[in-house]
Amino acid sequence: MSDDLVTLSVDGVEVSVPKGTLVVDAAKKIGNDIPVFCYHPKLEPVGMCRMCLVEIGLPMRDRATGEPLLNEDGTPQINFGRGLQTGCTVQVSPGMVVRTKTDPVEQARADVIEFLLTSHPLDCPICDKGGECPLQNLTMRHGRGNSRMVFADKLHMEKHVPLGDLIFLDRERCIQCARCVRFQDEVAGDPVIGFHNRGRHLEIATLSEPGFDSYWSGNTTDICPVGALTTADFRFGARPWELTPVATLSPHCPSGSNMTVSTRREAKAGGRSVIKRVMPRQHEAVNEIWISDKDRFVHHFAESADRLTQPLVRKNGKLVAASWTEALDVVAGKLQQAGTAVAGVSGDRLSNEDLFLFQELFRKGLKSNNLDLANGRLAGGDIVAQVGISSGSNLKDLGKGDVVVVVASDLHEEVPVWWLRLKQAAERGAAIVTLNVRGTRLDKYAKHALRYVPGEAVATLRQLVNQSKVETDGQSDDPIAAAAATVGSAGNLVAFYGAEGLTYDETESVAKLLANLLLLKNGDGHAGKKNNGLIPVWPHNNTQGAWDMGIHPSFAPGYKALPEAGLDAHAMYEGAASGTVKALYVLGADPIGDGLMDGRGKLDFLVVQEMFLTATAAAADVVLPAQSWVEREGTFTNAERRVQRYYPAITPVGDSRADWQILAQVGERVGLGKPALAASLVFRDVVKAVKQYKGMDYRSLAKYEKQWPDVGGDDLYYGGNAYENRSGLGQQWVAAAESGKVGMFEVAETAVKSSPGLKLVRTAALYTPGTLISHSAALLGPRMAQPTLSLSTADARKVGVADGNRVEVTANGMTMTATARVGDAPDGVALISGVAYVPGTAVVQIRKLQEEKVA
Amino acid sequence: MIQDKYAEEIKGILARYPTKKSAALPLMHLAQREYGHMSREAMQEVASILDLDPTHILSLTGFYTLYYEEPVGKYVLEVCNDLACALKGADEFAAMASEKLGIDVDETTADGLFTLKTVMCLAACDRAPMLQCNLAFHEHLDEAKFEALIAKLRAEAASGKMAPSVVEKIAAYAKQS
Ligand code: SF4
Ligand code: FES
Ligand code: FES
Repeated sequence: MSDDLVTLSVDGVEVSVPKGTLVVDAAKKIGNDIPVFCYHPKLEPVGMCRMCLVEIGLPMRDRATGEPLLNEDGTPQINFGRGLQTGCTVQVSPGMVVRTKTDPVEQARADVIEFLLTSHPLDCPICDKGGECPLQNLTMRHGRGNSRMVFADKLHMEKHVPLGDLIFLDRERCIQCARCVRFQDEVAGDPVIGFHNRGRHLEIATLSEPGFDSYWSGNTTDICPVGALTTADFRFGARPWELTPVATLSPHCPSGSNMTVSTRREAKAGGRSVIKRVMPRQHEAVNEIWISDKDRFVHHFAESADRLTQPLVRKNGKLVAASWTEALDVVAGKLQQAGTAVAGVSGDRLSNEDLFLFQELFRKGLKSNNLDLANGRLAGGDIVAQVGISSGSNLKDLGKGDVVVVVASDLHEEVPVWWLRLKQAAERGAAIVTLNVRGTRLDKYAKHALRYVPGEAVATLRQLVNQSKVETDGQSDDPIAAAAATVGSAGNLVAFYGAEGLTYDETESVAKLLANLLLLKNGDGHAGKKNNGLIPVWPHNNTQGAWDMGIHPSFAPGYKALPEAGLDAHAMYEGAASGTVKALYVLGADPIGDGLMDGRGKLDFLVVQEMFLTATAAAADVVLPAQSWVEREGTFTNAERRVQRYYPAITPVGDSRADWQILAQVGERVGLGKPALAASLVFRDVVKAVKQYKGMDYRSLAKYEKQWPDVGGDDLYYGGNAYENRSGLGQQWVAAAESGKVGMFEVAETAVKSSPGLKLVRTAALYTPGTLISHSAALLGPRMAQPTLSLSTADARKVGVADGNRVEVTANGMTMTATARVGDAPDGVALISGVAYVPGTAVVQIRKLQEEKVA
Repeated sequence: MIQDKYAEEIKGILARYPTKKSAALPLMHLAQREYGHMSREAMQEVASILDLDPTHILSLTGFYTLYYEEPVGKYVLEVCNDLACALKGADEFAAMASEKLGIDVDETTADGLFTLKTVMCLAACDRAPMLQCNLAFHEHLDEAKFEALIAKLRAEAASGKMAPSVVEKIAAYAKQS
């Protein structure tokens, strides 16, 4: 047996666990549930609540000889000391004997429960947690059923304390376990809630602005062991036992966060089943048991009153309701009429099945390669297919000696789950190297925070990559050389790249340079090894899938290069304006609203498949109402190339159909044969066409295994109310470097052209207005990112702008208004956030607006 | 802004500690001395000097009884009513004090002189009932002794010989230790 394992016995059952394991966790491993309140397996133990008291005995030794003392029958003598000990703070040791079912233990549990209930209101019948409440369950299991305290002496406290607008506190219910406070401090890194006052008067309070200012606030309601913390979304919404949990995935974020939507059929919704709440679903290699507040709260768009419910066809200049048959016939006919002047753009939120059939419709049905993402920001899907993070990797495995490079991305705002996991990697000892045009929140955890001058990202990264090849002693005053030394000595190396301030072409160079970094050392590099590789910070939840499915003018599904490339999105929009493109199919995207297309131009025919009447849909000839992700099933592929399933949860809205279904029906009309009857069958065709998906089917994607720590079910008091994953962990596809040699990439030298003047860089904010969030905004309304322009103090002085001024910002022919913030930007850069995506860096003009008089 | 007004003093305090966060308590005394109590603004200011979320300062303020979240009078009368004192009549004593001053516990007299509070054990259990007035202990109390104390303090205030206020005394005491 390995030295790192310790063997002990718990209630007579032997168990071997790694050194350092706590008694409660050791017991849990063999199914012995020592009750806990304050302990949480993802937080440092504090021993505050005393619920986990057990008898812990250690083998006795002869003081003189050190030899174990034995009983007459040869068994070791065990000394149980004089009192009970908290199993959540004691680490296991060899030969330890733990007793969890003795009278003193049961007595202690009953006492602790009685004590916790002295100030508890016992209002379970109206409590959101009732039915899935650790306090309720443990009281049933270990409490006495009566109390020696006088009921009338209970301290009554406020029951509706808003900690900001998302989370509410019921002061009476709090048992002061500090799980919430510790989560915010230790896990989220946002210590914005704290204990206030002492003893019975202790309460959770916040002074942040806005209150409880954290993207992770909702998670505290999952781990709160009572109903003290509730979300504004679910508060008094339903009783937990009325809910049907359905496994789903984040519809926003390329991390592929696993979630559960809890639904209920409601009379007030006409008998439809509706979403009552969204909670995390455990996936320890993806999002563990946490989700960001965006994932938790931005789901209302699915049930928005603005949803399109029936097909619309333009007649006499007006969009009017039509039957599906009529609409589909028009679409098929018009697309075919356009001949080779047909084109299609899609968004990157749709499922693999949808995107694959879109591709089939164009390539096989309409014989066109004019297919692209409507708003591609980030290049390099084909590079990721070569050197993407290896299958079987887990960011949780990164630690001492490992290095993570993050280029041109603010993960806290773009993919908060990755930010969280990299922060934890740094805390385990991994070195983080950031390379950005400005400071980001990850810098606080970074060993090297490098900056580049706007427009010089590629040149600076090239320097870093070239210097990483050189053997050095790691001592250097030059920040790039110092970072290069760190990178050069990396055990495992993971590289993230985003698009902040970069043009599409620049992102391609960045991806290639990082690929070369991973491939260095002549084939004995990092690429292809577990816990190594490239991760693109895609803008949406299924951008990876869109690349895999061949939504690209020059790749067929599975990255097969096409002999003849079609038009890219940019060329299509120009073609629409000039008349060379005659018919355009827009799938789940809004190029007109996003400012990519100036109206419908000279298009003969525009069809839009959407959930909402977007600006593009309003200009269309036919609008096909599509279902949201929760109304049907499908698969998304996350940026770590993990293909995962999500399931139908609510009743479809109106006459809307799943995107793949609509596309199959259009396909049938252009000669592609009988449409597939189920998403699972479409996925079979996907697997045939995309060789990387070989071996996957809906059943293999649904496989799961038990994960640590235990959550949900009977163990809800232990790991919190996150759902246990019983619907599938998905499958990661294998990058080329894992199975063969990949050559280095050519990256053309680009002359650094530094032009004078202030440069505009658009930065991400998690709650930036967009189609989904804006149709779910009620809850996040006050937190939505407002257009903000950040300038350095020197630059602000030069352009005559003070903090708080309203300014007009003009760049690349676009004009926006924003509020100025002074002091948060490097010299020479104007950072704009809270606005739609702006690629690259552009010379910017800033004009102060006259203050409107406030009445 | 204490940041500007006491720049040197603050620099000195920060220099005494390995991390900024450790300087929270002395800075809070400084802020309380300046503003008379730990107002929300005072918490924000201290937090911003220390690069902390103001919630942390709120927690500290609530934890230690010598930081006041509400304005207090010149003299703060803190009657111990913890277990030992309670057994010796501290609750009745506090009720009497409250009636004599014409205020409830946690209130301040209209003239701004006295604030009455009840506190946890002050480690003078054998001399109960007792109270602490601006950090000075008054022990073995009864109604007459209390009245005498109040009269003395009133006279002191009327004489214009302004003894240091409670927050000044606390700050000075914190500085020595
Ligand atoms: S609010 Fe909940 S999680 Fe926070 S201390 Fe109270 S009981 Fe614990
Ligand atoms: S003291 Fe161990 S769980 Fe709270
Ligand atoms: S109980 Fe009052 S001083 Fe100890």
